[in-house]
Amino acid sequence: MKNFQTSATATTADMDLWGRTLAAQLDVASQDLGHDIGERLRVARQMALKTRPIPQRLLRHSLALQANGTLSGPPDEGLNLWRILASALPLLALVSSLMFIQAIQQDLAETDIASLDSALLLDELPPDAYTDPGFVQFLKIQLHQNARHD
Amino acid sequence: MASDTEISDFLKSVEKKAFKRAYYHVGDEEGALDIVQDSMIKLCTHYSDKPAPELPLLFQRILSNTVLDWFRRRKTRNALFSNLDDFDHRDDLGDFDLLEVTTGAADAPASQSAEQWLGRVQTLEHIEKAIMSLPARQREAFLLRYWEELDVAETAAVMGCSEGSVKTHCSRAIQSLSKTLAQQGMKP
Repeated sequence: MKNFQTSATATTADMDLWGRTLAAQLDVASQDLGHDIGERLRVARQMALKTRPIPQRLLRHSLALQANGTLSGPPDEGLNLWRILASALPLLALVSSLMFIQAIQQDLAETDIASLDSALLLDELPPDAYTDPGFVQFLKIQLHQNARHD
Repeated sequence: MASDTEISDFLKSVEKKAFKRAYYHVGDEEGALDIVQDSMIKLCTHYSDKPAPELPLLFQRILSNTVLDWFRRRKTRNALFSNLDDFDHRDDLGDFDLLEVTTGAADAPASQSAEQWLGRVQTLEHIEKAIMSLPARQREAFLLRYWEELDVAETAAVMGCSEGSVKTHCSRAIQSLSKTLAQQGMKP
């Protein structure tokens, strides 16, 4: 073995080589640690791995699964136009259905009124006759007589 | 970002060396285990989002800082309690305990004679003790540069000093180790 304290001609390369040769022997020491130390290192490694924070994307995924189970909405993932449109579709369908039903009912009412109006207009008796008190009295008398005959 | 498997495999590959490196610094198995565990937890907690190729250098840096923290904590504790027993671990540098050596006898290859194996273990012990007797910065530079096989720039980055300082520390460490081992008739 070279003694570098006494060797004035020792180069950096020589010293590096000597250092590596010496350090290589330490590998033997690091491999023969014994079962106890090896087990404690294994437990330490497992404990350290448990402290690793869960990545954000995995956290989001797990929350979405929970949301599916509880029928609540998925977590907020920012402004998503398609997601907003999809969630508004049922509301739009309800409003349009109500408007359609109202339009149909309005059409039916208008049709009834129109048929009544047309019936009155097509009758031989003019509509103004019903506003005449004498005609109204005549109708009442006619109704009483019909009742007696029956 | 490194996956769970990559981090686990990385820690598994470095944990034994990290333990020995911490042990060479603090000279205490319990302390070395604490340091390695703290370093692993720091890596997983704060730097697990880093890509896998960056992990080795990060871990070396964390380990170095955790060793410094350990010495700071011990200094504070000693100042509070004046516990002189903590200095005892350095007193056995010249001792040789046959029982410690024989605990690993089952691992010795069958082709190797007991005398050869004992000689190799003793040589290794002398090397380890010589490394442990180095000044802290020289020991750190030596272990990072030659055992962890970092280049000068990486060693400087981990130690937080200039490349020139790393070269100086390494040179002095090798001279000191060379002298110590030569006095004991050791050949690496």
